[in-house]
Amino acid sequence: MNVWGWAMTVGRPVQNAGELISVLVVEDDAPTRWRISDALVQAGGFGVSDVANLADARQAIGAAIPDVLLTDLQLPDGSGMELIRDLRLRSDKTEIMVISILGDEKSVISAILLGANGYLLKDAFPTDIADTVRDLVRGHSPISASIARFIVRRTQGQTGQASASDLNTAKLTHREIDILWGIAKGFSYADIAERLGISKHTVPGYIKNIYRKLEVNTRGEAVFEAIQQGLIKL
Amino acid sequence: MIDRPDAAAPGRYRLPAYLLLLAVIAAVCICIFHLRPPDPPARYRLAQAQLVDAAGVARSVALPYRHEHANAMQLPFTYLMNFDYRPSGDEARWSVFLPGYTSGIEVAVNGAVVLDTRLHPGAGRVDRNTPAIAFIPPSLLREGANEVRVRLFVWGPISGYLDRLYVGPDAELRPAYDTRFFLFSTVPLLLAAWQGLLGAILGLIWLNRRREAVYGWLTAAMAVGMTQYFMSMPASQWVHGFLGAAGALEAALMLQFVVHFVGLKHVARWRLAFIPGLVILAAGLFGRPEDLRIAYIALGPAFTGLFMTTMACILGWSAVVKGARSSVFLGCTLTVVVVFWAHDIASLLNFFGAERIFLGRLSYSLVLIAIGIGLTWRFVQALNEADKFAGQLVLRVREAEDKLRASFTREEERARDEARAAERTRLMRDLHDGLGGQLVSIVALAEQMGGIAAQIGDAARAALRDLRLVIDAMEEVDGDLMLVLGSWRERISTQLRAHGIQLSWQVLTPGGLPVFPGLRPWVVIQIVRLLDEAVTNAIKHSGAGTLQVLIETVVDAKGSAGGRITIADDGKGFDVGQYIRDAGSREIARGPVARRGLANMRKRAELCGGQLTFASDAAGTRVSLALPADLGTAGGGESRISS
Repeated sequence: MNVWGWAMTVGRPVQNAGELISVLVVEDDAPTRWRISDALVQAGGFGVSDVANLADARQAIGAAIPDVLLTDLQLPDGSGMELIRDLRLRSDKTEIMVISILGDEKSVISAILLGANGYLLKDAFPTDIADTVRDLVRGHSPISASIARFIVRRTQGQTGQASASDLNTAKLTHREIDILWGIAKGFSYADIAERLGISKHTVPGYIKNIYRKLEVNTRGEAVFEAIQQGLIKL
Repeated sequence: MIDRPDAAAPGRYRLPAYLLLLAVIAAVCICIFHLRPPDPPARYRLAQAQLVDAAGVARSVALPYRHEHANAMQLPFTYLMNFDYRPSGDEARWSVFLPGYTSGIEVAVNGAVVLDTRLHPGAGRVDRNTPAIAFIPPSLLREGANEVRVRLFVWGPISGYLDRLYVGPDAELRPAYDTRFFLFSTVPLLLAAWQGLLGAILGLIWLNRRREAVYGWLTAAMAVGMTQYFMSMPASQWVHGFLGAAGALEAALMLQFVVHFVGLKHVARWRLAFIPGLVILAAGLFGRPEDLRIAYIALGPAFTGLFMTTMACILGWSAVVKGARSSVFLGCTLTVVVVFWAHDIASLLNFFGAERIFLGRLSYSLVLIAIGIGLTWRFVQALNEADKFAGQLVLRVREAEDKLRASFTREEERARDEARAAERTRLMRDLHDGLGGQLVSIVALAEQMGGIAAQIGDAARAALRDLRLVIDAMEEVDGDLMLVLGSWRERISTQLRAHGIQLSWQVLTPGGLPVFPGLRPWVVIQIVRLLDEAVTNAIKHSGAGTLQVLIETVVDAKGSAGGRITIADDGKGFDVGQYIRDAGSREIARGPVARRGLANMRKRAELCGGQLTFASDAAGTRVSLALPADLGTAGGGESRISS
């Protein structure tokens, strides 16, 4: 699989990255990987390269830092978390998304703590995949209702057990928490903006800020270890 | 007797008010002094006597007569008097009556002794005004002049005193004697007994509640008071000492009582007050009679007065400055004692010149009893309070137990929720690793293959969606269906986008749906499946271009807030009437897929207590789910769901 995956990477050369958005797709399941890559390539405007394991991904990053990283978390030779951290330590500009089957909050939030900006469902429709990545590059970090719910739940200090979560929500402003509530309850950005008396176009910026605030300093090895091994209580 | 600052009476009015109250009480006491005990008719009175001194020299004195302090205490003073005996039929029996004397007398008529009070224990007590009466045997009486010889014995520190003498028919003298005997002998005895009884009660209270020193001191004061009552005169030197010390000791004990009662600090300091009493006692035990006399005269009344003044000051301070009502009560009672005590002293110093009657001891007994009753009352009140408190405590404990039980239930529920969440995470990981990955692969492969495989892809996608729904429903939302709808919106918007249908999501009331307390995950699944089915029907059969989801809070007739979710499309619609006619018949099972879908939706709505309405015409279909305020709390067996 590893060699095969690598071979496939080689077999699908990176397109001219001049004005294109360079995207690195890291996914070990070949049909899924192709599906995502194809979706982006067919949408146009993306320079896509894809790899199937951590080692290849590191190599690719070493060669050139992509504009966007889409990575699975469970890779045959390691965790996508390591990749996210490596890339985030090198570059602040790269947008990072987790490719997830179900979008389960724990792994997605863990990735957010390391610097990811959201997640992509593996079975997302091709057009949605391209749209999401394009939005991401435009600064519109996607956030799902369940992730928003997860975060605001932690801001409530859930039924009196304040220290139950290591997720640092203290930095979030009331407005940011209100926005998260709105998203968790399925309100559109327009509804939320209207209700809070802000411009609808500023909502994505707020969300990006929320992600930035949740991010932890992973230069310390211990913190990273804790996140990776799920020792941090979320 | 509950101490509490009286907020209504400002401090500056307290002092004059208190002083006025004491003045009134003193005035009442002084009025009492003017109530003299009854005397026999004056014609039987012997007002003149010949006092014969040791040398046999006689001088004429007027009765009542007070002796100066004399060293020759042991010597009796002899009085000689004469009276005329004129018997008539109904006045045959004559008596000699002495209203008062200090300390003992021997009365002889015509040389024969008819009365000797020294033989009566207790009759010689100075502080009582015990009257004496003696029947004169007729054989002793001579018609005309008769001689009465009174020998006055004096002991103790107090100077001798002989009141008037009455000699006359017994029937004339007896009533006055009876009244005086009742007032000055029976009543004090009753009071002493009462005092003893109260003392015993207070003592028992104190024994069981050593912290309450008040009870202890009052008990001690009562014990001393009672003991001294039953001591008779004349007696041994140490009894004299005890009696001499009794006043000072009792005053000191009362002082301790007051100090504790008011709640002064440095309680131990006040014990110095016992010194004068102990000195007198020691003089009685170890000294000569003369020493005891000097000690008593020097210390006894003076310190008793000093202590009473101190008590009055303490109580006054407590009543005026601290506004303690019980101190006002005590202060009033103390005033009574002080007034009577002052009267006794004045009487002793021959200030009034009239008949010598001592009332201090009597008033003291009365006051002691009043205080004892007050304390007992307070104790009983405290018991009542304790009972009430215990009752409240039982209630509180019950409440606390209920709360604890509730919190335990909550805690259990929380633990269950946590366990469910943990289970969900585990399930999630499993699905993520296994089923989910495979389904995604199927989706990807089917897409690549195209054609008929696209349907396989759709099925796999539907399976994934369902998986997400179930996992999502397990998340605790605390009855906030909006949180569930948030995730649902994401799922259907993806689905609708893929089919080119526009989603119009409208929350009609602020906040959307109300919170449904006690909403269970199972009900959540039913609702979301129902909504899913409505959307799927619209996608598959309506050919609509827009799908509206309307969310609102609806307040019913009873004022409770329920919710309504409406899914409306602009498709071609279907014949609801046909559907409804088919409903309940077996036709449904064999009917078109859409109809089966509708039947399922109805069933789900029923199971979770919601109400489903369909409306369909050429302009589109409208499915409306009304959710009652008590959604999900009413029963609804999981086992009854068949799909």
